[in-house]
Amino acid sequence: MGRRHFIEAGAVALSAPGVLSACGSAAQHLAAGPTTPQASPLDPFASIFGVDEAMVRGALAELTSRGADQAELYFQSSRSTSIDYEDGIISRAHASVDLGVGLRCVVGEQTGYAYTEELTRESMVAAARTAAAIAHGAAVAPPQRIVHDPLAASRYAIDVPWRDVGVDRKLPIIQRAAALARAADPAIVKVEISWADAESRVLIADMHGRLVFDERPMTRMYVTLTAERGGERQTNRANIAARQGPDFYSEENLQRVVQQAVDRTMILFEATRPPAGEMPVVLAAGASGILLHEAIGHGMEADFNRKQISIYADMLGRQVAEPFVTIVDDGTLEHERGALNVDDEGRPAGRTVLVDRGRLVSYLHDGISSRHYDVEATGSGRRQSFRHAPMPRMRCTYMEGGPHTRDEIIAAVPRGILAETFTNGQVQIGAGDYTFYIKNGWLIEDGRLTAPIKDVNIIGTGPETLRRISMVADDAQLDTGGWTCGKRGQSVPVSIGIPTVLVRQLTVGGENRAS
Amino acid sequence: MLRELTARAAEAIERARAAGADEVFASADRSRSVEVQVRDGETEKLQESTSRGLSVRLYVDGRYATYRTSDLRPEPLAAFLRDAVAMTRALEVDPFRVIPDPALYAGRPTVDLELKDPAVLALDMDTRVRWCMELNAQCRHERLVSATVGVSDSHSLVASASSNGFSGHHERTGHWRGGTVTLRDEGDARPAGSYWVGGRHLEGLPSTEEVGQKALEDATRRLGAGQGPTRRTTMIVDPRATARLIGLLLGPASAGAFSQERSFWRSRMGARVLAERLEIVDDPLIVRGLGSRYYDGEGIAARRLPVVTGGALQNLFVDTYYGRKIERAPTTGGASNLVVTPGTRDLAAIVADVNEGYLVTSWLGGNSDATTADFSLGMRGHAIADGQVGAPVQEMNITGNLIELFAHLAEVGDDPWPYSSYRVPTLAFEGVQFSGA
Repeated sequence: MGRRHFIEAGAVALSAPGVLSACGSAAQHLAAGPTTPQASPLDPFASIFGVDEAMVRGALAELTSRGADQAELYFQSSRSTSIDYEDGIISRAHASVDLGVGLRCVVGEQTGYAYTEELTRESMVAAARTAAAIAHGAAVAPPQRIVHDPLAASRYAIDVPWRDVGVDRKLPIIQRAAALARAADPAIVKVEISWADAESRVLIADMHGRLVFDERPMTRMYVTLTAERGGERQTNRANIAARQGPDFYSEENLQRVVQQAVDRTMILFEATRPPAGEMPVVLAAGASGILLHEAIGHGMEADFNRKQISIYADMLGRQVAEPFVTIVDDGTLEHERGALNVDDEGRPAGRTVLVDRGRLVSYLHDGISSRHYDVEATGSGRRQSFRHAPMPRMRCTYMEGGPHTRDEIIAAVPRGILAETFTNGQVQIGAGDYTFYIKNGWLIEDGRLTAPIKDVNIIGTGPETLRRISMVADDAQLDTGGWTCGKRGQSVPVSIGIPTVLVRQLTVGGENRAS
Repeated sequence: MLRELTARAAEAIERARAAGADEVFASADRSRSVEVQVRDGETEKLQESTSRGLSVRLYVDGRYATYRTSDLRPEPLAAFLRDAVAMTRALEVDPFRVIPDPALYAGRPTVDLELKDPAVLALDMDTRVRWCMELNAQCRHERLVSATVGVSDSHSLVASASSNGFSGHHERTGHWRGGTVTLRDEGDARPAGSYWVGGRHLEGLPSTEEVGQKALEDATRRLGAGQGPTRRTTMIVDPRATARLIGLLLGPASAGAFSQERSFWRSRMGARVLAERLEIVDDPLIVRGLGSRYYDGEGIAARRLPVVTGGALQNLFVDTYYGRKIERAPTTGGASNLVVTPGTRDLAAIVADVNEGYLVTSWLGGNSDATTADFSLGMRGHAIADGQVGAPVQEMNITGNLIELFAHLAEVGDDPWPYSSYRVPTLAFEGVQFSGA
């Protein structure tokens, strides 16, 4: 509150989403752009943003007038709607529209940045001049033409864009989920449903005259339940999220997310704290991918490495884990929350292997780091909105399946815990210590699940944890819940996944009752 | 500028009412921010921007929704407000939803809270860069990997009005300076430390030299950190870290959490369940305070609110809507400056009396359950032995229940961290469960 750390001490965090903060927000049928398209070969310029090619070339010329290694205009039009159900009714909604352009000039590893919400020639040129102040060289010749580089096919095409979906279509979905939850268990005293849908349309024009357009939908439904038993109350949550349209909310998906919320809440009445200290930890398939995000993912973002401030800065090429460990960060998984067609620098978002059969093989690169290391960019340059400069970020981070089975893994643990659901995590990039918070799990005794556990923080050190991954099952799966990753004040949507994995020793924040 | 924002808010009310809204609360805002970052003596980032927007809360036929747009062109804005009213109408009737009682707008404080500093507005880019270079100059060390320092400042102006008589504006400046220093340790570890200070005014902030030195010291203290043993022992929490605990403790002290039965305070309101020495006041009237204000987000006039008195929760944060649901009079929807009444000794004096325990200097991840008060947090800090701050520790957790933790609050320091809207001094607790090696 009030404190504004725009450079945190290398600490970055992941949390289950309370908000779709990555996309602006929006309302139904709200006109974000001018209503009369102007004649232009570059239709989105005119129809969404009300600018023409000459204005864009003029701003690019100003942006590169003192030299640049990389420069672009990032136009964004976004809208989102959130709707809340509480105490038996749709109790409130919020909608917002956001429109603007971010202008960036990069020289070496230096960045000049400005943005404007006024898409006029004067405002754009003035912002370009501000961003160009970082440079002190000779002007770069501006592009003669702006050429649209069309996407092959979108990874998250939907039939009807969210801007054309009315509240009348959304309310019955929310009410259906609420009815399922209310009927699930007589102990449930409060049902809260939080809905969000959003779309972001981005148009990136770079200093070479290349133009990329991407349209990114997103939706999420969050179910929060409070149950009462003998005067005691317990609350828990579940959510589903994807780059999808309203068809995502099939009866099957609604039933699944509600059942997850019910199961996770009701088990808390039986759950206790495990003992405190070091012990084997089994990570259940799916959401336990939070381990990868914190223990290795952030440390592999190339900005931390080119600055030498990541614990992984000198480890490329080293064997860091058993040969059955392969970890990937992938933007290509269709309709996943972390999927991207192009990153926010306009580069194709691909599949990047971070750990190949135990060996550390690649960082996640943006334009600045790819020039620094003289490698191909990995399409990992992302930003929260036009108000922010991009930096290397994760997309969908997961571990591939291994040679063991879930049953073998649990049977191999004499005394430890199984981690199933999570709320949030955080990492120190340089020191390497990371944490994640287990909301639900199980005690393992003599190779069997014996009692439910709750509310324990897990803490470890990234490279040490990788070395201690001693078994990997064949049941790799992506989590269906929506995750939001925070880094240096910017939030972006990500996905995580993992098979069942055994880490032979981690520090568990349990409790040893005073004897 | 104020006149323009005031007119924009008034026009939004007029347009929304013309479209059929019964009541409207509108705010027009404009903010400007500048950031300079220097890494290892070179300017790494310059960012400068001005942002503006319009937010409205609409009450239409017993229904309610909120809206925000940054597209202020006349035609899109007019369409936005028309569509907003139409969308609100498509929601469900909520009998608890009403615009705040205008009587609550009255009695706004008349003191000058001094939230705007002309010296911040007068800063130029050369000064900011020079300050960064001064910060950087302090970050020299034989183990230095990299130092990133920065200066940022902001200026915001918001004008609000409502259809039932509210009218007000506030203007604030802010300035922050600090740095993050990374050092090379044994093996692959590169521990980092940081130090940031800021406030509404430049005056009274520590010098760039002092801040740079503190950032470096914060990093050097992390060298050689390892796990301490798992044990139940005394915990001293540095003033830079105590705000998190107070935030977890008071987060569920709201009418919203009570109404949804998601608050561990529901069964404990007014009961002395925490250490009697704990006193917490929400004070919006601190001159130059980061959380200070004349009125809250609903327009309710600001006043001091005793929250915890003698170890008992005395008042909740109550807004109009949830106040009606739980039948309590509105206080304010959220905290301004949370002030823990100070004790008589500082961190060093308190540590000097500790035979064995841990000093927590920062948290890493962790969470707590607002319904049950069960928590588990990652920590970093130092071992304490025989009254001395010893070896740095990391990769440890503390776990317990917030009510039980604060029942074992042994001492409150006299040294609140001033660069936050949480004014919380050193806190000392007995019998805390640490997990480590």
